Amino acid sequence: MTLIRLIGGRVLISLLTLLIVSALIFWILEVLPGDVASRILGRDATPETLALLRAQLHLEDPALTRYLRWLGGMATGDFGTALTSSRPIVTILEPRIFNTVLLAGYAFLLYLPLALIPALIQAVRRDRPADHALSAVTLVLLSMPDFLIATLLLVTFVVAVPLLPAISLVDQSSTALEYFRAMTLPAVTLAIVMAVYAVRMLRDNLIEVLGSDYVRMAELKGLSRRKVLLRHALPNALVPTLNVTALNLAYLIGGVVVVEKVFSYPGFGSLLVDSLQLRDLPLIEATVLIAAAVYIAANLLADIGAILLNPRLRAA
Amino acid sequence: MTLSAAPRLVRAPLPSWRRLIRRSPLSLRIGAVILALHAMLAVLGPWLAPYGISQMGTGIPLSGMSWAHPFGVDQLGRDIFSRVIHGSHIVLLLSLTGTGLGVIIGSVIGLLSGYVGGWIDNIVQRLLEAIISIPFLVLALLAIAAAGPQLAGSPTLVILVVALVYAPRVARMARAAAIEIATRDFVTVARLRGERAWSVMRREILPNASSVLLVEFALRAGYAPVLIGSLGFLGFGMRPPTPEWGLMMAENRALIIITPITVIGPGLALASLVVGLNLFTDGLARLIGRTAPRNPA
Amino acid sequence: MSGPPAPNFVEVRDLSLAYLHEDGWLQVLSGVSFSIAPGEVLGLVGESGCGKSTLAYQLLGYRPPTAKLLSGQVRLGGADLLAMSRAELDRRRGNRVALIPQNPASALSPGMRVGRQVAEVLTAHRRAVGRSAAMAQVVQLFEAVGLPDPPRILRRYPHELSGGQQQRVAIAMALACGPDLLVLDEPTTGLDVTTQQQIIALLTELRRRKRMAMLYVTHDLGLLAQIADRVGVMYAGQMVEVAPTRVLFLQPRHPYTRGLIASIPQLRPGERVGKPLRGLLQRDELPPGCPFQPRCDFAEAACAAELQVLEEAAPGHEVACRRWRALASPVAIPLPIAGEAVQAAQMPLLALEGLAVTYVSAGSMFAKPVSAVRDLTLAIERGETLALVGESGSGKSTVARAISGLLAPSSGQILFKGERLAGRLRQRPRALRRTIQYVFQNPDASLNPRMRVGAILARPLEVFFEARGADLRGRIDGALQDVRLDESYAQRFPDQLSGGERQRVAIARAVIAEPELLLCDEVLSALDVSVQANILDLLKRLRAEHHLSMLFISHDLAVVREVADRIAVLFRGELCQIGPARAVFQAPMHPYTHALLMAAPSGPAALAGLVRAPEPAAAPKAPSDAACPYAGRCAWQAGEICEREPPPWLDAGNGSHIRCHLSLAELEARALWRAEPQPAGPPAAAEERAAP
Repeated sequence: MTLIRLIGGRVLISLLTLLIVSALIFWILEVLPGDVASRILGRDATPETLALLRAQLHLEDPALTRYLRWLGGMATGDFGTALTSSRPIVTILEPRIFNTVLLAGYAFLLYLPLALIPALIQAVRRDRPADHALSAVTLVLLSMPDFLIATLLLVTFVVAVPLLPAISLVDQSSTALEYFRAMTLPAVTLAIVMAVYAVRMLRDNLIEVLGSDYVRMAELKGLSRRKVLLRHALPNALVPTLNVTALNLAYLIGGVVVVEKVFSYPGFGSLLVDSLQLRDLPLIEATVLIAAAVYIAANLLADIGAILLNPRLRAA
Repeated sequence: MTLSAAPRLVRAPLPSWRRLIRRSPLSLRIGAVILALHAMLAVLGPWLAPYGISQMGTGIPLSGMSWAHPFGVDQLGRDIFSRVIHGSHIVLLLSLTGTGLGVIIGSVIGLLSGYVGGWIDNIVQRLLEAIISIPFLVLALLAIAAAGPQLAGSPTLVILVVALVYAPRVARMARAAAIEIATRDFVTVARLRGERAWSVMRREILPNASSVLLVEFALRAGYAPVLIGSLGFLGFGMRPPTPEWGLMMAENRALIIITPITVIGPGLALASLVVGLNLFTDGLARLIGRTAPRNPA
Repeated sequence: MSGPPAPNFVEVRDLSLAYLHEDGWLQVLSGVSFSIAPGEVLGLVGESGCGKSTLAYQLLGYRPPTAKLLSGQVRLGGADLLAMSRAELDRRRGNRVALIPQNPASALSPGMRVGRQVAEVLTAHRRAVGRSAAMAQVVQLFEAVGLPDPPRILRRYPHELSGGQQQRVAIAMALACGPDLLVLDEPTTGLDVTTQQQIIALLTELRRRKRMAMLYVTHDLGLLAQIADRVGVMYAGQMVEVAPTRVLFLQPRHPYTRGLIASIPQLRPGERVGKPLRGLLQRDELPPGCPFQPRCDFAEAACAAELQVLEEAAPGHEVACRRWRALASPVAIPLPIAGEAVQAAQMPLLALEGLAVTYVSAGSMFAKPVSAVRDLTLAIERGETLALVGESGSGKSTVARAISGLLAPSSGQILFKGERLAGRLRQRPRALRRTIQYVFQNPDASLNPRMRVGAILARPLEVFFEARGADLRGRIDGALQDVRLDESYAQRFPDQLSGGERQRVAIARAVIAEPELLLCDEVLSALDVSVQANILDLLKRLRAEHHLSMLFISHDLAVVREVADRIAVLFRGELCQIGPARAVFQAPMHPYTHALLMAAPSGPAALAGLVRAPEPAAAPKAPSDAACPYAGRCAWQAGEICEREPPPWLDAGNGSHIRCHLSLAELEARALWRAEPQPAGPPAAAEERAAP
């Protein structure tokens, strides 16, 4: 009962946040800049084209009316029409989101072992050479921008050892193998960046948990090292790491923007950049709102996961 | 119990700087050295660089790594190494001012909101939460889009964008720190004296939150060059021919098959700066955690 | 120590151990030797930091990675634990030697049901095959340690249990494989006095039934009187005295042991013997010889240079002091009892009339308001010290917070010199905020770590007196002298002070505002025993010098006995009994007061074989207005009426007022507590009556 109430509360707060975000996005893009039409058309604007655009975007209506209409459309799945291509935004989004979800899933599969294994090694071999070496590697990787990691991978696996394609163009006609080849480098890049954050956090959590009273107690009960680690230490260390994983999901949404750009992968991220470059207002609004929604959903899932995993939170 | 029975403690009012350095973790020292090198490059760059900032014809265009041109030469015949050095102060200045602004704004909002509490805090918290839930790169791009063409590519815009991205995140940390500190008894004592919110803030809360904020600043500063580089790389940051490292990587991206070093070179410069900042932050956090154990690091 | 193979089951020989610190290795144990016979209970006592816990963990072969073994052996049934491989240790830990930890809340794995945690021990040592067999055994174990409804409890997570229940689970876990030796590391320190007593009763009973050897580590010497056969006293990593418990209390040889015993606050007048300890253990300033020399009243110059080793003072009584022969047996110093209330005719300084405080717990909009204090009426006269006692959660601190203005009362009023006080701090004038000062429990939290002591003391002066310059500095120096601290302390930061010194600063900060009423909220409970005595003396002196009235909140009746003029006993936010200190400590008394008194750990009193009233471990029920708040936990319950009607106030005639359905005669007859110490009786008789 309390569990349902607790989770229900989180869901409500998430929805509220999403509502505020939508208002914020709308305000930043359509209210803050003043005359939206001339901003979009720039110097080529003529009075006729301006009037046309204003009519198309209903700019003569009060901001609140426009916001509510836009919000209503978003809520019912009607994302409007793109300015530049005049196609319904839904049909533009669909293949892009499919590609990105595929990429993200692939990256996530690579991320789990990349995060878990080094952290376990470091925590168990604390302050030994293996720990220091892995610390140094994670620190360097942590300091590398994702576009640099992507570039280095590109240079290694495309230029030096030509195994994979430099440009990851795929479309609906691509085969599974083509998809796999196209996605590997972007996915590895994303996985490395996510794992690096998680490794540091997980290592510290593990070390803290390994020093806790209950782990000492488990040891003094006569449990073997392996049992202590797997039954008592790891599950408790993983709970706070859930938050990092949520943050990582959130990173993924920003990360795909850069990484997809580097590999010219036709996903959601490159669509966001393209729409910004083309100043396609309805498309920008839709993509940004979706990005925020995914972030909020990821955090919500992590919260719920933490509630389910950590019995102490349930009582709170 | 007499005066003479007062226990003899080693009197050490504040650790002196020398002591502090001796006790500082290795990572702090290495980080400081790397940062010092970068600072030197930023200040002395124009005199140290072999070629000018946009000087063309310095070598054979598209040539790779060589003693004369460690990072190669681009299509226009510009020496990439010189451009990287010239870019140093731009990257550092943008990062530090942007971060500084973000931390100051964020701290004020967060500390006040956390201490005052109530419905004001509730509203502020919801708003911050909403801003944070727009992924920061997307938020940055959104802000640049909203700023319009007049400001596009100007350093002011980049600084403001960095501040905008960081302020809510810093505010969240500062708020958490303020709430934690506000429950401690010495704050209750100050309230019992009837002191005003501002006075409590300044005397009791800020000094105890300062180490959190310092680490927060260092942490954010460590990521700022990457954020600025990402914007440049995507074509939304500084404009050519500014030698901003991310932008340079984007400019030379087409050359990656022919002369990869022209892309990797600026990237390495960026990575080394961030390694320095991260090492420094790491060490700083540990140092503060040790000398002031009562603070949540 | 040499000779034929000892019959002893546990044999520790010449154990020395060091910890890695920031500034190098710090030796925490030096040359410790002792033994435990099968079925024997050895108590280990000492101040915090004396190395007693480190020593205890060596019996489990456990050292943290930062510890280094310098020398020694720990033999358990002949085999040296310190030379064993991990696999060999794993076979013994939890099986032949088991630990009962200090803090069960953190020692139980938070994400695992408690039943499984106990079952884990059974399966690891192959005492049970299969899940259901293990769980069946767990149920039996839970029954044995007195946990109600075992099948239900074993499906709970640790945080869902009370502190006492958690400790019972930990005890069940330790007993699972029927070990030969139990190591108890401060097993009751984190618990309420009443719960503490239940756990002690359980341990005593287990000890009798199972004949296990125990090593019982505690800082509370009084506790050991109840359970230990022999006691070892540790100081700065050395064993300074070992003796049978009774001998140790009646004839302590080492000056440190004497100080420890004298530092125990006593419930009865005239019992305190000798001088309490002074100073603090400073590990970085130990002389090469006797570590206690800097604090010893009997020390000679030679003590600082000559290493002291245990030598036999009497059969079974060893002491490490070269001067033990020269020291006369301690003399009993009768202590004056706190005076009775002064001039009750005047208008009271502070009066609470029908005070009620309710909380709305923060963070949830669904939470119901919780009533913390209900219908409280009492008064504090000028110059009087009123003590408020009760267990944690009884609403003691809430009363102080309401008086200080931190919490607005939900009904009733607070009168200060006859005038009604505004509920909220903001509405009170500055002068009023000054006259009521608050001293908090934990000086670590009540002093701003980023301010020097001088600045901390300057704030009240600036705010209340607008003092500055030389006047300010003069007053700060004066205040420091008042609490017996050097002027140089003004330049220090709180973390450069010891716990006791910090509390002195916190007291100075309150007194510097020249208050009339001092609210002392558990001001001693965060401090070491030896420091407690000093702070108590300081408070008594300041009270006299500054003509202070005090509201003294404490859960420790022995402390209250020394300081209070009158005592009010609070249970779940309601007053049970109020009266002059002397009267409250006499029969007739409220059943709850009686339970508190019997539960209070106090050396000779417990040694004298006093019976404690066993408390039924019934689940606390929600307090309702229509019942006695103590109904359900009361051992003397009059009957159904307790659940139905609020009890009437009875006048005991000696100034004490008791709120109970039982008659005064009955209350008098039931009380086992006597104000005068009884002759020592056989402890066995006590145990029989204590058995549930």
